Amino acid sequence: MSRAAGSTKPIAPDRVDLSVRVGSLELRNPILTASGTFGYGDEYAHVVQLSTIGGVVTKTVTVKPRAGNSPARVAETASGMLNSIGLENVGLERFRDEKLPRLRELEATVIASIGGETPEELETLLRALGREPGVGAFEVNFSCPNVAAGGARYWADASRLERTLAGLKPLTDKPLIAKLSPDVTDIRETARACERGGADALTAVNTFVAMAIDLDRMTSRLGKATGGLSGPAVKPLALARCWEAAGAVRIPVLGSGGIVSGRDALEFIAAGATAVQVGTATFVEPEASTRVLAEMRAWLAANGIARVRDLVGSFRAEHAQEGALTRPARNGEQPQGDRRRREPR
Amino acid sequence: MITRERAIGRGTTRARSAANGAPARAGRTWRQVRSRVVSQREYGAGFRWLELELPARFVPPVAGQFMQLLLEFPSPVLLPRPMSVASVRRVRSKLRVGFLYAAVGAGTRALAALAPGAAVSVTGPLGRGYPLHESGTPVLIAGGRGVAPLLMAAEALARARRRCEFVFGARTSELLVGSGEARSRLARGGSRLHLATDDGSRGFHGDVIGLLAKLAPKLERPLVIHACGPHAMLAAVARWAMANDARAHLAMESVMACGTGVCRGCPLPRSGDARARVLAQPSHAAGAAALKGNPDWAMCCTDGPVFEARDLDWERVE
Repeated sequence: MSRAAGSTKPIAPDRVDLSVRVGSLELRNPILTASGTFGYGDEYAHVVQLSTIGGVVTKTVTVKPRAGNSPARVAETASGMLNSIGLENVGLERFRDEKLPRLRELEATVIASIGGETPEELETLLRALGREPGVGAFEVNFSCPNVAAGGARYWADASRLERTLAGLKPLTDKPLIAKLSPDVTDIRETARACERGGADALTAVNTFVAMAIDLDRMTSRLGKATGGLSGPAVKPLALARCWEAAGAVRIPVLGSGGIVSGRDALEFIAAGATAVQVGTATFVEPEASTRVLAEMRAWLAANGIARVRDLVGSFRAEHAQEGALTRPARNGEQPQGDRRRREPR
Repeated sequence: MITRERAIGRGTTRARSAANGAPARAGRTWRQVRSRVVSQREYGAGFRWLELELPARFVPPVAGQFMQLLLEFPSPVLLPRPMSVASVRRVRSKLRVGFLYAAVGAGTRALAALAPGAAVSVTGPLGRGYPLHESGTPVLIAGGRGVAPLLMAAEALARARRRCEFVFGARTSELLVGSGEARSRLARGGSRLHLATDDGSRGFHGDVIGLLAKLAPKLERPLVIHACGPHAMLAAVARWAMANDARAHLAMESVMACGTGVCRGCPLPRSGDARARVLAQPSHAAGAAALKGNPDWAMCCTDGPVFEARDLDWERVE
């Protein structure tokens, strides 16, 4: 594997520049917490110093409060977990009145996750929250596998994604990040649709639709037949989706799926992610995001890579042809800036 | 009702009890630390007693609270396992925490294989424990391995010089695991142990409800029940308590992921009464997080695991 981005001479860990940029949002480092795994920011504030990680993506908020699905909502499977939470959340009003003021007190970069069953609901949310102080960016959850309406299937439609994002864009000055489902025929299609619609970044990917059966009772191990799979089990799957999505667009991609170590995080970055999200690992180890960050920094230092952004897409630079084979030309445009790294040499 | 601890600034918290003296809500006092296996022994009928040594600074759990136990790499399971605490003691300033468990799945089997000195990651103390301070005659009711938190409750009551009645039921006499422990913890102060078995092989022939109904007329009212066991038993205890004007606090179980209220993975159905109280909470009331949340579902990990009988919908508890 190439380490093209740096010299081989180790450098001091504190000399590694970890800052990255997602649209207009500057992140002090590329480690974010994934939506739904870190509450509304303050639940873990006594064990994770929020000012040290890149940012917190909050639990998806919807216009109305949601009670969530019937139990069982979680089930462990080999190296992973299934969840069927069903977007339980406090709703827009309480998020704005109670959670946001608290989030502003925390020294965290906040990315607010919003979810809706229709484009109109997302517009309502952004109209209410789009200009609120204390939010650095919005992540639009286009990919919840556990809701009857407005879930991953509904949002798998590329033209709907494009139209919806185009409608949302004028409602906020903050970056809009579209969180994508892995359960599509070609994630490059949904990724490009989001970019065309005006998304400033993508998150790849949400959980995978999955199931587990209790044979003795012949029932699902969840309250519903299927749920979303996360954890180390999905990392290789998520990495491939992230790599495909990153190769198809020019906007930054946030990698997500089974990241539990600094090396995992760096694999996503090498595959083209600008930043990553740590999710299920936090349930196992509340301080996982801090440890992943420390491990990432140590690896970069040991490999003499002074800026993490130099590593973004390094793998792609070596293997671009594979990615490019099925990728249509983008109107003959030449990629700009560091995106050039992703193109064939 | 219960005041949720709020972090003061970054990385600092205070343990705090609600004004009524209830056990501090564990929401902000928990930590994840590395512990060491002190001892592990067979307890009969497939049950095991595990003792872990934790750092001195760890906040001691109270009866009814639980810990998340996580095996070190390479573990056969991903998620930590929630486990009720059966004893807490200090030895040379370190904290020694005891667990009574059965090796029933991949996680607990791997735990059972650990030798003294092995490392286990522990997150806790988690959840709300039994309100043992509540006035009335304490009646502890244990079903099978649900005895674990009640052993600790019996010890705490004995320390507070309060008499209690300890009702312990199981299917057979072999499954009354921990009755010796219970007896030794009740030795002081006139507390009594009452045994029941479904097959009549020891003590009262029948279930704990039958035994409770027999005992209750002889006890000074009001009764305050603290119970743990299979959910069907807890539902029966809850119904008995509500029909007989007794208070009952039931320690529930659930599959969990985080154990800290974040993942929303361990819902239990709230009663209509509890739902109405949640909805009546002023939206901006500071601190009252326990009842301010979801009107339909309580989370086992942070709203419980100990619930008052009237707070859950026992028809819908699985």
